[in-house]
Amino acid sequence: MKIGVFVCHCGSNIEATVDTAAVAAASREFPDVVFATDTMYTCSEPGQDEIVAAIKEHNLGGVVVASCTPRMHEQTFRRTVERAGLNRYLFEMANIREHVSWIGKDRESNTNKSVDLVRMATEKLMRNRPLYSKKFDINKRVLVIGGGVAGIQAALDCADGGLEVVMVEKAPTIGGKMAKLDKTFPTVDCSSCILGPRMVDVAQHPNITLYAYSEIEEINGYVGNFEIKVKKKATYVDWDSCTGCGICMEKCPSKKATDTFNEGIGKTTAINIPFPQAIPKKAKIDPDFCTKIQKGKCGVCAKLCPSGCINYEMQDEFVTEKVGAIVTATGFDLFDWSIYGEYGAGRYPDVITSLQYERMLSASGPTGGHIKRPSDGKEPKNVVFIQCVGSRDKSVGRPYCSGFCCMYTAKQAILTKDHLPDSQSYVFYMDIRAIGKLYDEFTRRAMEEYDTKYIRGRVSMIYPQGDRLLVRGADTLMGAQVEVDADLVVLAVGAEAAAGAGELAEKLRISYDSYGFYMEGHPKLKPVETNTAGVYLAGACQGPKDIPSSVGQGSAAAAKVLGLFSKDQLESDPQVSVVDIKRCIGCGKCIQTCPFGAIKEMEFRGMAKADVIETICQGCGICTSTCPQGAVQLQHFTDNQILSEVNALCRF
Amino acid sequence: MKFQEELKDSIRKALPDLDVVLGWCGSFDPLHATPHFIRREEDIDKLEISPLSVHNLATYLPGLRGKKVGIVVKGCDSRSVVELLQENLINREDITIFGFPCTGVVDQAKIKKALGHAGNVRTCDISDSAIVIQTEDKAHSLTLTQMLADKCRTCRYPDAIISDYFVGDKIGEPAPLETDYAALEAFESLSVPERFGYWLKELDRCIRCYACRSACPLCVCRDHCAAESRDPHWLSQENNVRDKVMFQVIHAYHMAGRCTECGECQRACPVDIPVLMLKQKMNREIRDIFQYEAGVDPEATPPLLSFNMEEENITEKEW
Ligand SMILES: Cc1cc2nc3c(=O)[nH]c(=O)nc-3n(C[C@H](O)[C@H](O)[C@H](O)COP(=O)(O)OP(=O)(O)OC[C@H]3O[C@@H](n4cnc5c(N)ncnc54)[C@H](O)[C@@H]3O)c2cc1C
Ligand code: SF4
Ligand code: SF4
Ligand code: SF4
Ligand code: SF4
Ligand code: SF4
Repeated sequence: MKIGVFVCHCGSNIEATVDTAAVAAASREFPDVVFATDTMYTCSEPGQDEIVAAIKEHNLGGVVVASCTPRMHEQTFRRTVERAGLNRYLFEMANIREHVSWIGKDRESNTNKSVDLVRMATEKLMRNRPLYSKKFDINKRVLVIGGGVAGIQAALDCADGGLEVVMVEKAPTIGGKMAKLDKTFPTVDCSSCILGPRMVDVAQHPNITLYAYSEIEEINGYVGNFEIKVKKKATYVDWDSCTGCGICMEKCPSKKATDTFNEGIGKTTAINIPFPQAIPKKAKIDPDFCTKIQKGKCGVCAKLCPSGCINYEMQDEFVTEKVGAIVTATGFDLFDWSIYGEYGAGRYPDVITSLQYERMLSASGPTGGHIKRPSDGKEPKNVVFIQCVGSRDKSVGRPYCSGFCCMYTAKQAILTKDHLPDSQSYVFYMDIRAIGKLYDEFTRRAMEEYDTKYIRGRVSMIYPQGDRLLVRGADTLMGAQVEVDADLVVLAVGAEAAAGAGELAEKLRISYDSYGFYMEGHPKLKPVETNTAGVYLAGACQGPKDIPSSVGQGSAAAAKVLGLFSKDQLESDPQVSVVDIKRCIGCGKCIQTCPFGAIKEMEFRGMAKADVIETICQGCGICTSTCPQGAVQLQHFTDNQILSEVNALCRF
Repeated sequence: MKFQEELKDSIRKALPDLDVVLGWCGSFDPLHATPHFIRREEDIDKLEISPLSVHNLATYLPGLRGKKVGIVVKGCDSRSVVELLQENLINREDITIFGFPCTGVVDQAKIKKALGHAGNVRTCDISDSAIVIQTEDKAHSLTLTQMLADKCRTCRYPDAIISDYFVGDKIGEPAPLETDYAALEAFESLSVPERFGYWLKELDRCIRCYACRSACPLCVCRDHCAAESRDPHWLSQENNVRDKVMFQVIHAYHMAGRCTECGECQRACPVDIPVLMLKQKMNREIRDIFQYEAGVDPEATPPLLSFNMEEENITEKEW
């Protein structure tokens, strides 16, 4: 193979600490290298043209560019060599910027290391083979998991773009956390007024099929051709005929069921519709509290339902849906704050969470929008807000910032004053993080116009004193102890990954960080992609996010799906594993370890052999390190290609 | 041995349905046994079980796949059978396992050392406590426990772990004469250059005969061993210690968490290289990380042959 080497200066990024001309000169001595030069910006148009010209002039069979990371420019240069008529895999990149010039100052050592890296790249290139993609048909339907504001946005954008959408929501209604909020920062507009119409759009859009109160049971297949098994949990009410009239709910004698929608403020009936604007507006029975299901007596709802939808024998049902892409928008849940003994660990009724407070502020909530102490129903005078409960606290394993708590605490302080003009709010905070558009102005308003007292410091203890609570903490700016008599304490509880996020990630075959938040493809350059092709992220499932960012990411995910589906066929990545059936003994070890289920057993002349399904294989290489025979090899990263790099480096 | 006749009866009963039964019989001299392939009724009488039954006959099983095979196993051999079953390399319904309570086998290298250059062996009498060997010039009396293979001195599974026929009374949980991995731990206390120097010296002797590999019941690649292939080309055929070390490292890695420490590799080595220690090292790490021991549970999946998103004892995401 005739090889050309191009050593990039990257302006002064590389040239400042690497003698690129010397690297090019050294490369000329390597076997097969017939041309080597250094260039100012290889990725620029003249830089790329130089490569094309050199391929033609010197009849090159392969090209090495020594510059930045493959993540940055591999695609760029692959297109360049393709323009000159070479197969895109007859190209290698040596990273002499991130791996060399940016991390060391010693010009001589840097130059030597760069020479080594180029030598490795040329040795590998000599063993590269042209690889070709295969085309396959795609199913242009999309699955959206989670019907919070992010999922709703993604679903509507996809549906408006002409795609068929399947939405699976775990709860009986869509809307997520936003449906529970009273007003939203920084404009203090009513949450259900802006979200409600969107929820209705989901219900009415001809392109959207909604499975509420359903979960993902199983996911098979690959980008373009996923097969999803959805579990429709038993509601004991036939949703096809339920009109949401609510008569059952009025008459149900069992009134002690947990009110999940209202975050446990108050109780609800065993048969219930979560809230008046619920989508779908359908009743469901909570079997744990239904006297008919528990004890066989009652049956009031069945008698009263005008449409005869009640079915106490209903079972979970499974449906299969075929889609080509998946948007995951499962949001977040609140940290279990009862771990904090200093806040009473859940013993004091007048210490509540921020989301419970939202329900209390909401006119459609259990208190009809009146702020009342859960203990005695009295209006509070002093309301203390504590920020960073389960955020930025290593001691409880939550070192990260939940992002939106500073803002909603300011919002809640403002709303408190609106509701109770005589009240006084105090906020214990660590720092105020108000980096969005109009956000800093908003927190300032809480302080300046609404007279909220911000105290910088942690609360060390809350304890009851009479029928009030004494909140003791430090004011670190004053260097003093402070004590506040509180009637109500609201904890700005941090966000954590949604319950069950890990199990879902395993079904989706995507990764998650140690807190359960899903990992994006690249923290900067691929914020909505995952490492599994065809699976995208939207909203707080990827990390705590406020509504504007969640909606933005919902639209971005939809744009990705629409982009993916703009073609009728997809090309498979040829960098997949291939089994050499001569060597394979059919032991199935690779089948067991492949995290993507991409290998199946086949029969060849009566013997069992492994076979990789190239559209499913993600090229992770786990099978190749499992197979003792080396029978399964990852194309473009075969053992021999990697060994040639090792041997180029470890010459002795 | 006491149960030998009982064992022969069991084999006699099972043989009509089997193509072959693997056992041991006498060899070229009274001090050695050899694998015995019982195909006909009359072969049964030659079967002999004694502390000379050193060979792990499970090594033959993958090659006999597709045939109905009976196999006589020591406790340790049965672990290889279990491992082969776990790895889908043999079919349970094709094999019939004959177990017996094993009291240990000898290490011929230890005997050779004790005898020195003694010439031909005339007779060999083995009692519960001693081996009396008559050579050309004199009688040597050796203490049996001292001549036992190292694996027998640490053995915890003397009764076959799985069997279709079991003859004799099970021993149960024995008190090992030595603790596991004591020798390994002593070796690990040496410095890195000392240890590396040791392996360079030991492996320099290796003649790359691959007897260690061929004797291993779990080295099932056979004709496709990474050591002799060009695609992938892990090793050159040059005669240098670097490739010899590399070969043993590859063998040890491929065996991690699969090796049952039957010791066949080391027993087979014509130049007495202590290659088992490399495998023990890997296994000890596997035991510490995954609490796993190879070949004791037919239902288990060896930890390195499975994939988990998150490993309990490996914290890669601690920051
Ligand atoms: C007290 C409080 C006040 C807030 N106030 C504001 C504010 O004023 N302004 C603002 O911008 N932001 C505010 N936020 C933040 C806001 O709630 C989030 O930005 C928003 O909810 C994120 O939307 P999402 O769709 O990503 O997640 P979510 O709202 O959490 O929705 C996720 C949906 O997915 C569903 N789901 C979860 N797991 C599964 C599964 N396995 N299968 C199927 N479905 C599943 C859930 O049931 C839920 O419906 C506030 C947050 C809190 C806690
Ligand atoms: S691990 Fe290797 S030998 Fe075993 S089935 Fe897979 S490819 Fe074949
Ligand atoms: S490289 Fe191997 S283990 Fe990884 S996805 Fe492909 S077939 Fe599965
Ligand atoms: S290791 Fe145990 S089972 Fe194996 S030969 Fe020794 S004593 Fe017998
Ligand atoms: S590597 Fe050695 S000790 Fe381990 S199973 Fe193979 S032959 Fe037995
Ligand atoms: S048996 Fe001994 S000499 Fe032969 S290859 Fe193995 S270690 Fe080397």
